[in-house]
Amino acid sequence: MATEPESETDFRADASLRWRQFKGRLFVGLLVLSTLIGVLSLVALFIVIGSDALGLAAVFWWAPAPIIGRIPLPFSEWLLLYLGALVAPISAYTLYIRQDGARQAVNAKSFTAVFGFLTLAAVVFAIGDAVRPHDIAIYAVFISVALGSVLGYRHRYGSNHLTGPAIPVSVLVGIAVARILYGPINGAIAILANWILFVLITTVPAAAALGYLSAQRYSRGTGIATAGLVTIGAGIAVAGTLPQGIDPSLWVVLVSIFVAPVAFVTVDTIKTRSSGRIGLIGPWLLAGSIAVAATAERALGIHGLESWLTPTLITTSWNGVAPEQAGVYPQIVGSILIVGTMALLAFPVGIGAAIYLEEYAPSSGLGGTVTTIVDVNISNLAGVPSVVYGLLGLSLFQNFFNLAPIHVGPVTVTPETFGLAPNIVLAAAVTLGFLILPIVIVSSQEALRSVPDAHRQASYGLGASRWQTVRNVVIPEAVPGILTGTILALGRAIGETAPLVMLGVATTTYSSPEGLFGSATALPLQVFNSATNAIPEYRTGVVAAASIVLLVLMLLMNATAIVIRNRYENN
Amino acid sequence: MNETTMSDQEEATTTSSSAQRPEVTTDTATQSGTGRTVIETRNLDVYYGDTQALQDVTLEIPEKQVTAMIGPSGCGKSTYLRCLNRMNDLVESARIEGDVLLNGKNIYDEDVEPVALRRRIGMVFQHPNPFPKSIYDNVAYGLRVQNKEVTDDIVEESLRRAALWDEVKDQLDTSALDLSGGQQQRLCIARAIAVDPEVILMDEPASALDPIATSKIEDLIEELAEDYTVVIVTHNMQQAARISDKTAVFLTGGELVEFDDTEKIFENPEHQRVEDYITGKFG
Repeated sequence: MATEPESETDFRADASLRWRQFKGRLFVGLLVLSTLIGVLSLVALFIVIGSDALGLAAVFWWAPAPIIGRIPLPFSEWLLLYLGALVAPISAYTLYIRQDGARQAVNAKSFTAVFGFLTLAAVVFAIGDAVRPHDIAIYAVFISVALGSVLGYRHRYGSNHLTGPAIPVSVLVGIAVARILYGPINGAIAILANWILFVLITTVPAAAALGYLSAQRYSRGTGIATAGLVTIGAGIAVAGTLPQGIDPSLWVVLVSIFVAPVAFVTVDTIKTRSSGRIGLIGPWLLAGSIAVAATAERALGIHGLESWLTPTLITTSWNGVAPEQAGVYPQIVGSILIVGTMALLAFPVGIGAAIYLEEYAPSSGLGGTVTTIVDVNISNLAGVPSVVYGLLGLSLFQNFFNLAPIHVGPVTVTPETFGLAPNIVLAAAVTLGFLILPIVIVSSQEALRSVPDAHRQASYGLGASRWQTVRNVVIPEAVPGILTGTILALGRAIGETAPLVMLGVATTTYSSPEGLFGSATALPLQVFNSATNAIPEYRTGVVAAASIVLLVLMLLMNATAIVIRNRYENN
Repeated sequence: MNETTMSDQEEATTTSSSAQRPEVTTDTATQSGTGRTVIETRNLDVYYGDTQALQDVTLEIPEKQVTAMIGPSGCGKSTYLRCLNRMNDLVESARIEGDVLLNGKNIYDEDVEPVALRRRIGMVFQHPNPFPKSIYDNVAYGLRVQNKEVTDDIVEESLRRAALWDEVKDQLDTSALDLSGGQQQRLCIARAIAVDPEVILMDEPASALDPIATSKIEDLIEELAEDYTVVIVTHNMQQAARISDKTAVFLTGGELVEFDDTEKIFENPEHQRVEDYITGKFG
């Protein structure tokens, strides 16, 4: 018999086993191939976009100068300069940091603080500048007064059954009161310069937050001193710019949201950490090396890459005839506004629906059947093409689902009555919100489902109600998973183009949106638009550079969510 | 009867006032207990869908003693336990018939709120299930959800009574998940007694633990019976023999075959099937 072993000690593979093993190896080979295709497509994406945006094509293919006046000189000097000034110190520093856990931790914290607060400061300034800081200040003051009185009450008299629900209610009341009183207040403060309002919305909260933190960590006196220092810092920023006719707004924001918090983190780390403090210099070393390399490049007259990824691109507005002067600043602000508004609208709704479906909805009987039908439909909605959602947004904001105009007695109500139009920021945010809602719901459901039932049972066993169990056990454990889902949703939303085209959002605008009801604009639309520009540099360089800006924007949003998630997981 | 009424009133005030500690038992309630019936079930039937899990169970659980439920897997002993604090309400397909009386009050009456009921009946589960929070927050959880004041003293006292204080007193702020399995289970017991329940239900509390951790839990259960009525489900017969005062034997089909003093059950059971089970002929 062939299957019978020759002897008790014959453990060699026979033909059938060898054939099976061969099939196994073949299978693994195919799996590796699939992985490679996936990885290579990503690499190809970066090569194509990166070489176009940074002008690497000229290097790789040794192509002649694409534009007169931008002649690539021998590349080796440039390479040497950057190897020496940037790559060498950063590599040495990285190797040194990696030797020790404490150093790594401080380094990571320092990088997060420096670049996180820098990004935050840039976003706050950009949004404030676009929307008018006056508007933000009016809403912020009313919301903080309402919220502050509730929190103050709770701090003084302890929490009771009403303090919890009062928190969201107070925010809504603050918004409503601000909306009602907006007209007269805006009239009264309209003459104030932007920077005064920026002091109100950035310096005041920064001083309060940092003062509170240091009072908690050290002493009441330190807290007051910290708050005072932040205020003095902002004062210096104003004093240093205003007499010279420069608008102090940007500097006020930078001092309040970037310099002050970073200084606080730095001093706090030096005081509380006994080892690994060297990690603090990481971000400064990186920034310094880049500055040195760039200065040397200019001073020595070395011409390097013909990069399209320039400061001009991200700080100026669009120019359709001179590719070197094209900028996408309004589009960046527009994308942030749209996605931010969308997140505020869609995340509570999506997470709420997920909590209901997982924790409360009946799972058996007739109700269970309904739940199943809803579940299946939500999963299917996640696959509906985005252009169809654009149609939904169009019909909602153009025409109230094509029912308008509605006649109420002598008054005719159309979307315009409420300042609504399909091409405004709010319409874009709502439409993208519909689009990501199924993604948020499905991923949040997954996160809630992964909370062990044993924890729910333990909570019930201790006499917790269902709400207490959901609030204190289920949601805290599900938050990291929920955040992972929202990261996916954010990434999806920021790149969406088709629904915005359906809404008639302008593909090219020269100014940032002026608020939720202002004309929208978004970065992917500008990318889409510049791909058809008659001048070839737009179709290669600018479009690729703008794409990289879009990718960086997406990565920054993801990084924010990941930082929040990690902080939450550690606590 | 009179005593029952008085103690009922006392319980009512205890649960409504915040942060009452178990009073030191000075009078009749000694280790042997008073023998008063705390929980009584009458003709209890439980169905999961069409399957009957318990058949006509009638038994009385005495105060401040350890009552053990033993029997082979699937005999309904855990189901019985989960009827006592209405945890079966959470299973949508479960249907319960018959009476469960706590201090003479049927807990399946319309006017009984399961959440309020569970505040007076603590539960410890088969697998240690501390929340992924700090040790302190785990102990304080029950007090917080029941709106009782959380003090360091209550947390320390609960951990001491669960024989865990000395091992964790320096790491109250660390995650409960960093503890060993046996420590986690004692933390779950501390969590249950922190809210000062009247009855503690334990569903095979040591079955997932090693022998040393098991013996610690067993010592603890005997101590707890000085202050609390303990009902424990186990499939370890030696454990039941070691720690319980009364034993109920469930056999296949959700049927209560015999309920008596533990000594009687293990030395001279009335039913042949119980003897067969206890001597290891089946099960």
